[in-house]
Amino acid sequence: MLIGISLISFFIMHLAPGDITSSEAAFNPKASEESRQKLRELYNLDKPVIIQYGLWLKRMVELDFGNSFASHQRPVLWEKKDGKGNVIKGLIQESLPITLLINLIGIFLIFSVSIVLGTISAVKQNSIVDKSITFFIFVAFAIPGFWLALLLMYWTGVVNQWLPISGLHSLDYKSFSEVGQFFDLLKHLILPVSISMLSGLAGISLYVRNGMLDVLHQDFITTARSKGLKEKNVIFTHALKNAILPLITIIGLSIPGLIGGSVIAESIFAIPGMGKLFYDSVLMRDFPVIMGILTIGSVLTLIGTLIADIGYAWADPRIRKGLVK
Amino acid sequence: MSLFKGNLLAIIGFIIISIILFVAIFAPLLSPFDPNYIDINSILLPPSYDHFMGTDGLGRDVLSRMLYGARISLFVGFVAVGIATLIGIFLGSIAGFYGGWLDSIIMRLVDIMLSIPSFFLILAVIAFLTPSIWNIMIVIGLTSWMGVTRLVRAEFLSLRQRDYVLASIVMGTSNTKVITKHLLPNSLTPIIVSSVLGIASAVLIESGLSFLGLGVQAPTASWGNILTDGKEYIQFAWWLSLFPGLAILVTVLGYNLLGEGLRDVLDPKNK
Repeated sequence: MLIGISLISFFIMHLAPGDITSSEAAFNPKASEESRQKLRELYNLDKPVIIQYGLWLKRMVELDFGNSFASHQRPVLWEKKDGKGNVIKGLIQESLPITLLINLIGIFLIFSVSIVLGTISAVKQNSIVDKSITFFIFVAFAIPGFWLALLLMYWTGVVNQWLPISGLHSLDYKSFSEVGQFFDLLKHLILPVSISMLSGLAGISLYVRNGMLDVLHQDFITTARSKGLKEKNVIFTHALKNAILPLITIIGLSIPGLIGGSVIAESIFAIPGMGKLFYDSVLMRDFPVIMGILTIGSVLTLIGTLIADIGYAWADPRIRKGLVK
Repeated sequence: MSLFKGNLLAIIGFIIISIILFVAIFAPLLSPFDPNYIDINSILLPPSYDHFMGTDGLGRDVLSRMLYGARISLFVGFVAVGIATLIGIFLGSIAGFYGGWLDSIIMRLVDIMLSIPSFFLILAVIAFLTPSIWNIMIVIGLTSWMGVTRLVRAEFLSLRQRDYVLASIVMGTSNTKVITKHLLPNSLTPIIVSSVLGIASAVLIESGLSFLGLGVQAPTASWGNILTDGKEYIQFAWWLSLFPGLAILVTVLGYNLLGEGLRDVLDPKNK
């Protein structure tokens, strides 16, 4: 699986017409053919593709994604010591936690809000509340995130100045107390998190609603009702548990979408996360960083799926005991 | 229309899509100005009788650009989904019909493609191939065939067990003929539904890419790159941001409603 991913990301990089030397030459008219050749040797670009892949794979196993072409040779993944013993932080090392933070908050919120919305919608099926929630879901599905981001930026940031519209910290955040810094960060996160969770929220609310409707029509619910349980108990203890079980898997499956979505949210709000790093590297044709992020993104997805599988087994005794495959 | 009887949402979706089709086809007749005509004397005019949606930073008429943008988004949606569906049908048929090691290889490939965040993949490829409308369509197509493949494979696996298919195989019908005459026509419904929903997401991806400057390139008008201009002028020219966004929203909503509606209408289980 991992080898497949690495092959694909490597293959894509070599689809490219032009290489780093041509973009560097574009910035520097004095670059001669000779110095280009030196550059190619430096990055092993003069060797056959198979050997380049082998070299890259070998370094990947050692978790070394090489150095960035563009930003002064900074290591792609993890910190390294340079010749003078200074520690230089890796690009992904710095940006990944930010993206993870945004997406984890996002997933948590998606989970909680969609369960509430979906349950209300299912329990009051065909009522006005249900209709408006379903309508909201369809609109949220269709709304382009970057457009909503623009409108929200304009409305909350420019017209009303309620929220900061870019970056992660205020300019003077170092002068705040720790609590102040925390709230400053929180304020900066509100817009990006809401944008990145929107389409996920819509999908999963719909999922909860349909799951809940299915469960509510099953025999054990009728049994529970007819033995005189309160409606509240029927819904919260009997139905909900069964309806939200598959969510664990769905959340696992939605991770690639969330990570991919962070490109747009982060570049609009100028957040120095992995999505923005990726966008910048794409513009700079920074091979090692692009390959590194593609691989790390896929590994994250695999980890997410694995956690989802384990979580499912943990939550569902039928699977844990091997009764259902 | 009688097909959608009683399914209000599907009818709304159908109407929206028909209007957009109409607008896109007749864009040259409907648009009051040349979409690329630069008029220095009418920069950033708010909506008025002459310019229903105002003008942009170069004095171009936004309504005309929107009409031509409809063409782009429609074109990208159809071609990208066409590519994805063809690949999906081809690989899915092979996997579902022949099974065995071919099936394993194809399904592994699907798993691998699904675990790479697709927007990253698209961005990477686009940037390296230099952005253009053709590259976008091909890349979106090449990165969104996995769903159709799974769908076709699953349909084939269950259809293969039916008596009429077995009978046809026993009678010595060639494999290609069994696939094209018996299996494919019977799995068409889910394929159509997923294609319509696929167009919706292709439209969203295209506008996102154009917005980031990695999609349809200026001066060709696309809803995404009109929005990029809108971002520049958001403090003075709300009309530049509002209309293209609304157009994308309504179009995607239309395809989604139509797709969901078709699913309800065509699926005999729901009757």
